[in-house]
Amino acid sequence: MENGWIWFLLAVGALLTGSLWVRLRPLARWHRWRALRERALFEDALKHLLTFEHSSRDATVESLAGSLRLSQKRLLRLIARMEAAGLLHSHGAALHLSSEGKQWALRVVRAHRLWERYLADEAGVPLGELHHAAERAEHRLTPEELDALDAHLGHPLRDPHGDPIPTATGAVTPLEALPLTDWPLDQPAQILHVEDEPEVIFKEIVAEDLRPGTRVWVLERRPEYLIISDGQVEHRLTPVVAANIHVAKAIEGPSQPAELVRLADLVEGEEAEVAALDPDCRGFSRRRLLDLGLTPGARVRVELSPAFGDPRAVRVRGSLIALRREQAAQVWVRGGSRSDGKSQHAGASQS
Amino acid sequence: MSDRVHTLTPQDVLVRADALQRKLGGRFRDKIVESLYDEAERIARRAVHTRTDRHWDLDQRIDRLVTSPIFGMPLMLFILAVIFWVTIAGANYPSELLATGLFWFEARAVELFNAWGIPWWITGFLWHGVYRGLAWVVSVMLPPMAIFFPMFTILEDLGYLPRVAFNLDWLFKKAGAHGKQALTMAMGFGCNAAGVIATRTIDSPRERLIAILTNNFVPCNGRFPTLIMLATIFVAAAFPPALASLAAAGAVVAVVLLGALFTLLVSWGLSRTILKGEASAFTLELPPYRRPSVMRILYTSLIDRTLFVLWRAIIVAIPAGAVIWILANISVGGASLAQHTADFLNPLGVAIGLDGVILLAYVIAIPANEIVVPTILMMYLGTGMMIELEGFEQIRALLVDQHGWTLLTAVNLMLFSLLHNPCGTTIWTIWKETRSRKWTLVGALMPLGIGFLVTFLTATAVRAFGWI
Repeated sequence: MENGWIWFLLAVGALLTGSLWVRLRPLARWHRWRALRERALFEDALKHLLTFEHSSRDATVESLAGSLRLSQKRLLRLIARMEAAGLLHSHGAALHLSSEGKQWALRVVRAHRLWERYLADEAGVPLGELHHAAERAEHRLTPEELDALDAHLGHPLRDPHGDPIPTATGAVTPLEALPLTDWPLDQPAQILHVEDEPEVIFKEIVAEDLRPGTRVWVLERRPEYLIISDGQVEHRLTPVVAANIHVAKAIEGPSQPAELVRLADLVEGEEAEVAALDPDCRGFSRRRLLDLGLTPGARVRVELSPAFGDPRAVRVRGSLIALRREQAAQVWVRGGSRSDGKSQHAGASQS
Repeated sequence: MSDRVHTLTPQDVLVRADALQRKLGGRFRDKIVESLYDEAERIARRAVHTRTDRHWDLDQRIDRLVTSPIFGMPLMLFILAVIFWVTIAGANYPSELLATGLFWFEARAVELFNAWGIPWWITGFLWHGVYRGLAWVVSVMLPPMAIFFPMFTILEDLGYLPRVAFNLDWLFKKAGAHGKQALTMAMGFGCNAAGVIATRTIDSPRERLIAILTNNFVPCNGRFPTLIMLATIFVAAAFPPALASLAAAGAVVAVVLLGALFTLLVSWGLSRTILKGEASAFTLELPPYRRPSVMRILYTSLIDRTLFVLWRAIIVAIPAGAVIWILANISVGGASLAQHTADFLNPLGVAIGLDGVILLAYVIAIPANEIVVPTILMMYLGTGMMIELEGFEQIRALLVDQHGWTLLTAVNLMLFSLLHNPCGTTIWTIWKETRSRKWTLVGALMPLGIGFLVTFLTATAVRAFGWI
């Protein structure tokens, strides 16, 4: 039996190799992989040129080499190929996008940001992990897939960081926002955009849980730090970090936060009226909450909060709906009051 | 005017639409839903008159009880135990009756074939191979299913299952999974393939995939006979007869709980490694309690579920029965093919506390797990065909006295039955639902790997401590 095992394993190995060779066609795969890598290189170069164009700087061979981490020889070959394809022009040391090149670059940016929006809204991927996933996906999506994704997401205007998403025609709505360092004291502001590069600073912003949609007030500004408040917690930010957060006048959500509470903060038996869904709640989860009838004006009553208070069951429009704490926290309600006795059922059934 | 219309190109329209869309703001969807609800409310106010409803009071009281922090979970376990106990206790007698009837029919048919002078191998293949496999599956599976599924449908109809999902959600949330996974697990008790299909109710693709990949950790109806047999032979035997079926039900509940534990652990692992992500929106409607309608229960549980699952089992049992008969009746060098394969698999089997015969049975049973036990018994007896069901005492004597089964064998077989690759139908269903070879492969091999690992660990631990 000793030999039997060896022969058996050899035979299985040979069979597997053979069938894998036929099945997976490694040569064809390798070619596809090469093509994909080539596309990724082209597109990364285009993105780099676009970024420099936006900040009105001249991209150079050196800056491109630093961004793509390619050897001099391969980089020059890449530039020659891209120039031959009519994607860029070189003026001395400076590199500029051609109009085709710019269109392509915008398409990549569109793919990147749409994919981030999708991951954040529909798959619940945390803000800090979006960028890397999108860096890979942006090179794989076809224009048809992009349009389908755009339609599926309801033509979103901004990605989860707050960056504008270019349209299919390449139009970009510029961001009208100020860096947090320039915002006046004690004026309510809404974060519109957090810069996701450089990563070190972005990680700090994510760690403070400051994200687009959050309402903040600048409480104190000093040369070495800023103190801001999001209504509950005070954050202390260095000016470098604060400069990467862009804000504008608060337009949405509760104007007087004191009056509104989150549905998650109501206790069992409390009844209230829905004021608004948090602007932070987007995509699928927003559609879901709306579909369940949690629209402004609807009466809600917390009926069950079992072990550990999570999830809780809420009576809305006559039906009983279970929500996790995170979902319940996205519903702002007003006029929370305890009602006891029989009347509470009548109240709930009429809503 | 007409000039302007003519000079508009499709491109202009698109650009204009783009600009307009940007002015809409992100909230126009909200406005649409709000206006729909306003309209619906307006109509409802005119057409529907509500009175204070006593029905709701009762609903609320029941809800408070079944979701209470103190009684919720114990009540759920109690209901589960009762269902298993009724299934085990109630299926015993009809199973024997069916087996007797079906095997009696086989004996008559064989006599008839012999009288007609048909060659032994045709008779053997058809009746001792194909038909006997079929008879086993029908007699072992039909009665438990005919009891289990209606009871389960009653719970479903009552509206109790969503409450279970509600009670268990905090666990699934910790595991990074969706609360509705509890519902798909409940479906998995009937059939894992059905459980995999039921994951369609989970909207987040990540959480749905987790639910698909872990559904197999819920023992399905095809695996219950194995669990029930082992529980009866090895666990119930240690208790007085009056308590025997209760103890057996308790052991099955323990296995189910272990399966739930693995579901949570693996979900937790998946959502931190290859399926990274935060828990998505969880919303679940808790429908009002309804009085179950008898006709509907009978229909959905007997026609939709029992017959469907049975039919599937029959389709796979027929070729499996044929394969077993061929393996057992073709001899090379003085031993049957089955014997050779079992000897070959034996070292691996022993390493995980089982033996070669059991592993071979699991290989043959890839299409349908129902035939694991009959295959094992058949090969131990060396009869060249599946044996007839003749009471648990005899089976116990065969396994323990003649083939050296110990408590370790029984425990590890229960573990392996819980943790091994899904059956062929489930694998096929995973492929149909995910359309991905990668996830199908993960779904098939991950539980198998876990099964080997766990049984190997228990076997090694037990041997190291010298308990066996």
